[in-house]
Amino acid sequence: MSVDTAGYRRWAGRQLPNALACWPIARSGLVLVLRRKLFWLLLALAALHFLFIFATIYLKFQIAAQNPGLERFVNQVLRSVTGTGETYREFMFRQGTVTMLVLAFAGGMLVGDDMRRGGLTFYLSRRIGRWHYVVGKLLAIGLLVSLTTTLPALVLYIEYGLLTNSFSYFRENLGILVGILGYGLVMAVTLALLLFALAAWLHKTVPLVMAWACLFVLLPALGELLQDVFDDRHWLLLSLWRDIRLVGTWFFGGIDTERELAMLNPSLAIVLGVCIVSTLALVPRVRAVRVVQ
Amino acid sequence: MSLLLELHEVTHFYGRVCALSGVTLNVEPGPIGLVGQNGAGKSTLLQILLGLIRPTHGTAVVLGQNVRTAGLALRGRVGYMPEHGGLVTGLAGVEYVALAGELCGMPRKQALRRGHETLSQLGLEDARYRPLDQYSVGMVQRLKLAATLVHDPDLLLLDEPTSGLDPEGRTAMLHLLESLASRPGKSLLLASHLLGDIERVCQSAIILRQGQVLKVGRIDELRTTRPRSFRLRWDGDAAPYLAGLRERGVQIELDGKPGQAKALVPTDWQTREFFAEAHRQSLPLTGLEPEEEDLQAVYQRLMTAPPEPAGRTA
Repeated sequence: MSVDTAGYRRWAGRQLPNALACWPIARSGLVLVLRRKLFWLLLALAALHFLFIFATIYLKFQIAAQNPGLERFVNQVLRSVTGTGETYREFMFRQGTVTMLVLAFAGGMLVGDDMRRGGLTFYLSRRIGRWHYVVGKLLAIGLLVSLTTTLPALVLYIEYGLLTNSFSYFRENLGILVGILGYGLVMAVTLALLLFALAAWLHKTVPLVMAWACLFVLLPALGELLQDVFDDRHWLLLSLWRDIRLVGTWFFGGIDTERELAMLNPSLAIVLGVCIVSTLALVPRVRAVRVVQ
Repeated sequence: MSLLLELHEVTHFYGRVCALSGVTLNVEPGPIGLVGQNGAGKSTLLQILLGLIRPTHGTAVVLGQNVRTAGLALRGRVGYMPEHGGLVTGLAGVEYVALAGELCGMPRKQALRRGHETLSQLGLEDARYRPLDQYSVGMVQRLKLAATLVHDPDLLLLDEPTSGLDPEGRTAMLHLLESLASRPGKSLLLASHLLGDIERVCQSAIILRQGQVLKVGRIDELRTTRPRSFRLRWDGDAAPYLAGLRERGVQIELDGKPGQAKALVPTDWQTREFFAEAHRQSLPLTGLEPEEEDLQAVYQRLMTAPPEPAGRTA
């Protein structure tokens, strides 16, 4: 390999604002994740559920159009696709399993490797601050979450609206759009912060998967057990995914039952608490002083 | 000419540990070596120059910009090549270099084009699309240098750039650094334990010890301050001659080579005294050469001497 510095030429272009550097960080993070076949498999699993609901909506409208007499029957059978906020909220909630798997395996690659293999040095020695780095990585995680939850929910919303053959569905259900985006945002922000903080401390995939499983499998199971033992629904708050759903439900325009209403504030407090603790936990891991060791 | 580095009483503490103590430096642009043992404060100095940490006391101005107030803007004009790490595994070579450019504010297309160019110039053209995990140590060092150069910085901070390279790779890297150092408007700050590398690439050197500047200046000037050292060559039995020299304060080092020795003379020594003593002992001197002190010798000598007061110019 020969070296030819004679051809080296100066670069004198205009530098872009620092804030725009968040996007290349997020983009390269997504590239890293999507290069692994495992993630395509997980995304395919997420797509299966989406395709099922997509096809169900289509089927419902086809049957109703061809056989109006069967409309009530079809509506009864396919209760999960009524086109109300509940349809999209439940869809996003059920995507949780795959989303959690994607995040558990992606955390090590997106953040852990930077801490473990010195990638942080690469980022922070450039013309960006640590918050650009943090925002870039959060954006990557948030996009992964949205890819399996918010984005397909939006597609289903659009599909439902288009199949009604009028724009009145969109006009009358703008609240649903707000709900999807709001729920998606709460999910993306909370999970991104939590995953970043855990990956920044645990670094490797295996401990990260174990910690993630504790949070999203063990704690909810424990919560249900304790609820049965003590007959107190507050133990269900141990399920963060459930807490996020409850906060997300608020964006869909209200909570139906008294019981859920009573749980809203504690859930909100837990979600906020997780966000704050995660932020505080990640700050010392991205201090510039760690860059040159 | 404006100064490359202006450090005034720069002190930095990590908790109670003092990493840098009252460092005052004025360094002109050009290739500069940064020498010091582990814990001497090299890394802390690099962090401060990069604008990553603020010194506890004192002011540091790099390329005319105060590191306290212009950290980000400064990093747009500085390229840093770390010794370890600094890789984003999973990316291909050209993606990595282009990402480095984008993080320095280059538009994506220009960063990509420049990434291809830089990799070609550093001899990595064929490996551009290979994932970083498949690069050899030498290729990784070149790649990191490419990522350092991609945005065309005015100052390169290089931390042990020849670390882990085989002799051939080391020679190529040094050749490359020499070539870069000779380009107008480019300055290097080369931190290395390999003093031969610094001697080959740099014109000036900063020697740190325990957080303080021990010596700073042009390498040829550092050499002139050496104690006078000569290599003597003779024919025949030189034992009385060497004994005579020792009596007059000359330190003789016999290095096992027949008919020659190294002589370290006192400061007031006149060279003709070698010949006078040889004449007295009737010894034919066949050679008397002043010995060139290399940076290694300067470094070792300085490391055993007490530090001089701060406030230096290179």
